[in-house]
Amino acid sequence: MNFKGTLPTLILEALVQEPGHGYRIAQKIKERSQGVLDFKEGTLYPALHKLENEGMVESYESVENGRARRYYRITRSGRGMLAKDRAEWRQLSRAVTSILGEA
Amino acid sequence: MNGLDDWLRQAAQHLAKDSAALVRGEIQEHYESAREAAMADGSSAEEAGNIALNSLGDAKTANCQYRRVLLTSVEARMLREGKLEARAVCSRPWLRWLLVAAPVALIEAASVFYFRGNAGLSRDLLLAGMGMSPWFAALLLPINTPLRGRIFRYTKWVLMTAAVVLLFGPDALKWSWLLISCLWPLAWTEWTRASIRRKLPVSAWPRHLYL
Repeated sequence: MNFKGTLPTLILEALVQEPGHGYRIAQKIKERSQGVLDFKEGTLYPALHKLENEGMVESYESVENGRARRYYRITRSGRGMLAKDRAEWRQLSRAVTSILGEA
Repeated sequence: MNGLDDWLRQAAQHLAKDSAALVRGEIQEHYESAREAAMADGSSAEEAGNIALNSLGDAKTANCQYRRVLLTSVEARMLREGKLEARAVCSRPWLRWLLVAAPVALIEAASVFYFRGNAGLSRDLLLAGMGMSPWFAALLLPINTPLRGRIFRYTKWVLMTAAVVLLFGPDALKWSWLLISCLWPLAWTEWTRASIRRKLPVSAWPRHLYL
């Protein structure tokens, strides 16, 4: 399942606890959605760059297991945006549930 | 690695050199991590490579998305050439004043022709000076914030449109082919600059990007 437009929010959520590199972010999203949310990992990086351009995340180089990697961490604006997205999602989810009825 | 090379070639198509290098670096890094994870799960090296490659998805889709957020080769060239032009003008004060003097000279000539009784030519010169003035006035104005830049751009287009409409009057539609072919490069430059502005943080904007 691929919810168009939710990837930036999912990335921000994956970075709330700790900074991470692209592969780790992708794995976190897949694990936390128990494999339901599937996306092509090649599209993760453009979304990360967009968030970086908008100042929602910032990146830095770090070495892991002897390999230089680009890490991303959420910024204060990113946390603000995530809080807003969460509130919007809850509202939308409540509305859809009230129409479709709870199973 | 052949499959990955093909994928990278497609994903980095039409991107600027720096952008393409960034894409190659991050995707290669991702591919290696995915391949190692698949091998740790018991896949053979070949299977692991295929799993890692499949997880990247369609290279053309990735290219499309990369081109929306990273500089393309056309945008990088425009940025480079804009910097060269700005440097050429700023390092030669006489050229700067000459450019500023051009619309002023047109407006002065318009007043001369007006007092000599040639109102038609005077009006045309005045409108040409009016249409040109934003381009040259920009050299002297302190346009160094996004808001000032936006105000300048709106003013520039309003002035240019007004000059064209007043110059051609009711014949504007008849001459639309000429107007479109003349204004197309300006519109295209404006569109490309808007795209660059979206991709670069404000702190990295050169001055000509505000205009």
